[in-house]
Amino acid sequence: MFDPVHERELVERCRRGDEGAFEELVDRYKDLVFALIARTVQDKSRAEDLAQDVFLRIHRGLPYFRGEARLSTWIYRIVANVCVQNQARPALATTTVSLDDERTGERHTPSAVDRGFRDFELRDRLEKAVARLPANARLLVAAHYLDGVRYEELAEALGLPLGTVKTQLYRAKQQLRRLLETELK
Amino acid sequence: MFCDEALDLVESIADGELTPEGRVAAHLATCPNCAAALDSARRLEQALRARPVPRAPARFTARTMTILRRRRWRSEQFLDVGFNLALGVVALAVVGGVVVLLNRAGVTSIGNGAMDVMSGGVMRLARRAAPAVPVYAGATALLAAALGIWWWAEKEI
Ligand SMILES: [Zn+2]
Repeated sequence: MFDPVHERELVERCRRGDEGAFEELVDRYKDLVFALIARTVQDKSRAEDLAQDVFLRIHRGLPYFRGEARLSTWIYRIVANVCVQNQARPALATTTVSLDDERTGERHTPSAVDRGFRDFELRDRLEKAVARLPANARLLVAAHYLDGVRYEELAEALGLPLGTVKTQLYRAKQQLRRLLETELK
Repeated sequence: MFCDEALDLVESIADGELTPEGRVAAHLATCPNCAAALDSARRLEQALRARPVPRAPARFTARTMTILRRRRWRSEQFLDVGFNLALGVVALAVVGGVVVLLNRAGVTSIGNGAMDVMSGGVMRLARRAAPAVPVYAGATALLAAALGIWWWAEKEI
């Protein structure tokens, strides 16, 4: 995300209790953390709370953070934990968006639909389809299509081999294609 | 049969990890089913890349820092309470120590002393208590010191 030397310095300052340094860290990573969470959790209204939780955990964990891993890798791991734990909450685990219910509505014939509307519709359906993926697949899809998040970092953060990350991602996309069969034609 | 193989590669072709060559390219060119799958995979790829990127709300950093400071203040309050409790335990230990010392000095508690009073042995009691006076004084000083530290710590925080 930013250069390793500066990153190490920032971490060191944070560890010495420099509040300004931690504020800088939050500022640097807030969009990444927020985007990952907002794209992964079902309940978008909780995204800010969860993102704040991620930073509180980072703050708590900084004294134990060893410089071996990249800061960003460690942050992905915390984001993954927060998302998975949030998913485990029973009230949210049962929340699934049904695509099928909405498909019973009146359908436009492709010829009558202009491109812009189709894109808009696809975007809407895509979000709903992504919401139906399991939490870890949602996180992978979210992260892979965000700037600056490399496969390798994700694999390290999730403790998975690189090949597994790719396979899981392909499987998630296959599932998305099935869910969006009509929209992608 | 070969469709299965080709379909497995569709996602990696669509995201640019793989370039179709030889058999695969030939199959995709002739099988409408697999060609359609590749088409939809490409469209999905585009849509995923075009997903809006949610951004942290305004004042996110400030709000996070406020929560952090509040948490820290609370944990300091907790430390405070812990410190007071620890001092309380020390004071109790001192009082306990005084009682033990009194017993060891032979002024075997007021309960037994009452018997002496009943039997009119007030003088004898006083005589027995006399050697223990320095112990009383020491214990009182210790207790006063403990209370003093407590008061000082309270004032500092
Ligand atoms: Zn085929």
